[in-house]
Amino acid sequence: MLSRNIRLLSRRYSQAVTFRTTESSPTQQNENQVGLFYTMNNDVCKQLFAHGGLPKSFMKQTKTFTETALMVRLPALDIIDCIKVTDLNKPVVRYVLYGEKGAGKSLTLAHLLHFAHEDGFLIVHIPWVSDWLRRLPRDKEMSNSQSREGFVDIPLDAAAWLLHFKMQNQVLLKTGDLKTSKEYVWSKRESTPAGAPLAELVEHGIARVKYACDVIDVLLKEIKLLSNAKKCKTFVAIDGFNSFFYPLTRLSTPTKKKVAPEEVSLTAPFMEITKNDWTNGAIVVTTDQLAVPEDRQENYLPKYLLYQKGFEHLDPFVPMEIGRYTEREFLSCASYYRDRLWLRGPPELESELKLASACNPYNFMELCAPL
Amino acid sequence: MNSIRYKLSGVTCSVLQAANFRPAYIQCRLYSGPTSFPDFFKNPIFRKEEQAKLIEINELSKLAISPVKPPGVSETSSVYYDPLVNKLINHVMKMGKKQLARELVEKAFENVKRIQIERYHLASSAEAKAKIILNPKDILHQAIENCRPLLQLLPIKRGGIVYQVPAPITEKRSLFLAIKWLLDATNDKERTIHFPQQFAWELLDAANNTGKVVKRKQDLHRQCEANRAYAHYRWQ
Repeated sequence: MLSRNIRLLSRRYSQAVTFRTTESSPTQQNENQVGLFYTMNNDVCKQLFAHGGLPKSFMKQTKTFTETALMVRLPALDIIDCIKVTDLNKPVVRYVLYGEKGAGKSLTLAHLLHFAHEDGFLIVHIPWVSDWLRRLPRDKEMSNSQSREGFVDIPLDAAAWLLHFKMQNQVLLKTGDLKTSKEYVWSKRESTPAGAPLAELVEHGIARVKYACDVIDVLLKEIKLLSNAKKCKTFVAIDGFNSFFYPLTRLSTPTKKKVAPEEVSLTAPFMEITKNDWTNGAIVVTTDQLAVPEDRQENYLPKYLLYQKGFEHLDPFVPMEIGRYTEREFLSCASYYRDRLWLRGPPELESELKLASACNPYNFMELCAPL
Repeated sequence: MNSIRYKLSGVTCSVLQAANFRPAYIQCRLYSGPTSFPDFFKNPIFRKEEQAKLIEINELSKLAISPVKPPGVSETSSVYYDPLVNKLINHVMKMGKKQLARELVEKAFENVKRIQIERYHLASSAEAKAKIILNPKDILHQAIENCRPLLQLLPIKRGGIVYQVPAPITEKRSLFLAIKWLLDATNDKERTIHFPQQFAWELLDAANNTGKVVKRKQDLHRQCEANRAYAHYRWQ
């Protein structure tokens, strides 16, 4: 009887401790850590996600839990392993993350970004494409492009993105190895000479918001050239990529004409960088139902969400489904929530929540909220 | 629409009778209101604990042969079922939009929980931490307990003058008043603050024995105290 009690106790104890791993570097994580949470360093988190990148509901959780903890999941590990063994002299490989709403695509992307940061990649990351094309706050600025006829600029968003880029790559930009290949003339008095560091280009875009869109165009071309020349390796991460292929955006020109995504000047450079005509990098994009309006949310598969056009643009790519929690992941998540005081009550609660949430991570989090 | 429903259900009932069924046994929810079941129908016992209790005292076999009303949609045997929360949701509900009401109440619970967890992390010593109630449902129970009035004022006419006479209050009415006052206090808010946020604050205040609602209760008690000279009008 006593030994049985001890055994039960120890089992409970072991269940209570195995939801966390101390391995906080994604480069070192392996299959043993699947389903466990690792805590991200606050400084790294601030550097990578200060200007977006983590979903809003998750940001709320990090504040309540007083830490940023991500679960190590199999799809992320698979992609990390693939990137590690890829021959970087070959054309870039494109990975497409897809899955149901709330399955954890954005957080998997965040995990991959952390890996790329640790591994010394230059990061080109769009936190959420729909913020540019579909979100219309009152101070959204739209103007006709000066440099290219018939295009629409969103200068404030572009400048914000440049700030994000500068923040994420502050270490690499500081070293000053990355230099422009030719001279760019912005106006009569302003120009960027050939051989200037990329940081100067970025600074120019932030300071002169009017040229921010053109700076992004030039910057991405330069990054491609630099990667080809083996000066740096580049990691492109775009969340909600299918938003680029929905026929209409919610933007309008000053003459109230509806704008298609191809007519936004920011679309073209990111289309260029997601082609596989360059080497020494990796591209991870997500396709998300939430990135497009409700009339295009019937299915979560990439072919449906990307339309024919986007599918052909990305083809060939490696699809990676982000699924619901497995048994083990669910248990570990539940014990993590218990540890963080988010979930309390009798142990039968878990089985009920499991049924009610259907193991969908977001639904599980929401169902725990009022308990 | 209602008349059609009645007709429909009437038709179904007669058909069933013709087929030698007892319509009373059919859980027919087409009738509106509680009148659809005759008085001898027992209330459903849908909680596992209560069923276990019945089995213990051998009452279940008696119940098994008597007709029972079907339980409502919200009356479940779930682990997180709470009759008081159900009651509260019904009070918040307007125009029969129960799902919206439930979402609002749950959102308020979430806000309460976030505030309490934040306090828990800020608390310095272990004793201070142990004092903080983290369960939002416990907070609700505590808040409603603190808001319940012990007396009420009844208007009674004696000699052409209406006196406010203090009188004892039933358990049910005091619960009603507590919930009503909480919601009144919540709805008296700025337009820009949302219901769940304000309700969370009111709950926390009331659980802490401070705030608008507790003050309203104390005002009522004070009024009762002031009018104690009229108390005999209740029976004279």
